[in-house]
Amino acid sequence: MEQLKKGSRLHALLPWIIPGIFVLVWVMVSYAELIPHYLLPNPLKIIKTGSAYIFSTANSPYAGRFLSDAGASLTRVFFGFFCAILFGLPLGILSGRLAVVNRLLDTFINGLRAVPGITWLPLAMVWFGIGMRTTVFLVALAAFFPIYLNAAAGARQINAQLLQAGAMMGVGRFRGSLSILLPGSMPHIMTGLRLGLGISWAYLVLGELTGVPNGLGAVIMDARMLGRVDMIIVGMILIAIVGRMSDGLLVKVLRGCFKSARRMT
Amino acid sequence: MKGALTKEMLKTQVNPEQPVLKVVNVTKHFEINGTAKSVLHNITFSAGVGEMICITGRSGCGKTTLLNILAGFLKPSAGTVMVNGEPVRKPGPDRCVVFQEDTLFPWLTVRENIAFGLKGRTKDKGYVSKEVDRFLSLVGLREFQHYLPREISGGMKQRVAIARVLILQPQVLLMDEPFASLDYHTRREMQDLLVSIWTELGQTIIFVTHDLDEAITLADRIVVMDRGSGCIRQELAVPLPRPRKAEQTEYLFFRRKLYEFL
Repeated sequence: MEQLKKGSRLHALLPWIIPGIFVLVWVMVSYAELIPHYLLPNPLKIIKTGSAYIFSTANSPYAGRFLSDAGASLTRVFFGFFCAILFGLPLGILSGRLAVVNRLLDTFINGLRAVPGITWLPLAMVWFGIGMRTTVFLVALAAFFPIYLNAAAGARQINAQLLQAGAMMGVGRFRGSLSILLPGSMPHIMTGLRLGLGISWAYLVLGELTGVPNGLGAVIMDARMLGRVDMIIVGMILIAIVGRMSDGLLVKVLRGCFKSARRMT
Repeated sequence: MKGALTKEMLKTQVNPEQPVLKVVNVTKHFEINGTAKSVLHNITFSAGVGEMICITGRSGCGKTTLLNILAGFLKPSAGTVMVNGEPVRKPGPDRCVVFQEDTLFPWLTVRENIAFGLKGRTKDKGYVSKEVDRFLSLVGLREFQHYLPREISGGMKQRVAIARVLILQPQVLLMDEPFASLDYHTRREMQDLLVSIWTELGQTIIFVTHDLDEAITLADRIVVMDRGSGCIRQELAVPLPRPRKAEQTEYLFFRRKLYEFL
């Protein structure tokens, strides 16, 4: 990649150009009344609704609900994502290294992957009811695949001589897994985790569309029924922001915990 | 003159003690499309304590295969490899390898790479740190200890590769064309460094190279392998005093005789 000077004005400005143009076009469309307001509200309205949703203590629908909704959603994403890591990472690394495990799992997992995540929703509702458990199940299922596949790819591409070097220095299987296999696969693992977390947010909303009382996805669905398009858009923007922040946090945590994440990605 | 030199050269296995490394009738064939292709045939030699032996031969003669068998990465089809009387079954820190390519852990600094093997052996951090310092100085990399492998040159990487195995005090150090991918000057520098380390530590070394000059510069004895048969064609002592310089008359004389001889 051609490098960009960090700290330069261009470096700071670049990420905001496209969102800026986007909002500008929106404002223009809105004031020219090309699209009626009940379909696409004016950005000012969005800001008002948004700040009421986040800060207001007034006794109106949605006022001040943001923290509890975001908290509920984050909890669901966290547990679902955590379960996906718990299974996806070790299974992926094993499958990338051991032909037996790969042969055993690959057909099953790829078959499962071919089933669209949405089709699990009815079954999940029958099994787990409406709410936390269904959402966590959907998130875990969806995030599992990118985590598993990337961990497997990472473990497969490790230079065999690094493992030989470990063996000759007297490193046993257990320590070898932790101190050679894991860091050696880290760039791939990190990609898998980030993709998995991204998908987690998508399936979170899916899980919350089914009539749970709280959560960012629930607010969006609720607003649709009340015809509050402004609130739908506020919900979408907030999910974008929280999702982007959670991705940044994930990268920071990985870099903080692993030398390999710090030095190889 | 030729007769005298030849006699001197053929004087093999001079060490009266029990050899550190004993290779007996090692044979290796690979199965390729159902037919067995013989790579090594009845290889027998041994190395005494503190000896530097160069294994040389043209490419495809099986020298790297032999080294992989010594290291325990490959199993011989027949024959045995013994280190201090114990048969070799798998890779272990008594027979460490310096590979031709860069096999440092890219996520560890120079210092951490050198400490890697020792950390698995002892929990005593002070001891590890002291040893790492000692070996960093030995290979002249103290100033670069906090660099990552991708930030240092090819020659420095091989210095780290040497230090990270020497710190484990292996019975035998195995080197597989470790300087082959370095430029001429760096290679000469590394050869001098290796000789000085070898002199200081008295480390037994098996050094594989296709470069006869490198073999003459380094070795106490040269084992020449034959490409066609997979046998040892010749085993020769190198009777030259050290330090050896390619400009010395004895060196040039020996080199010419050696080429004639082979």
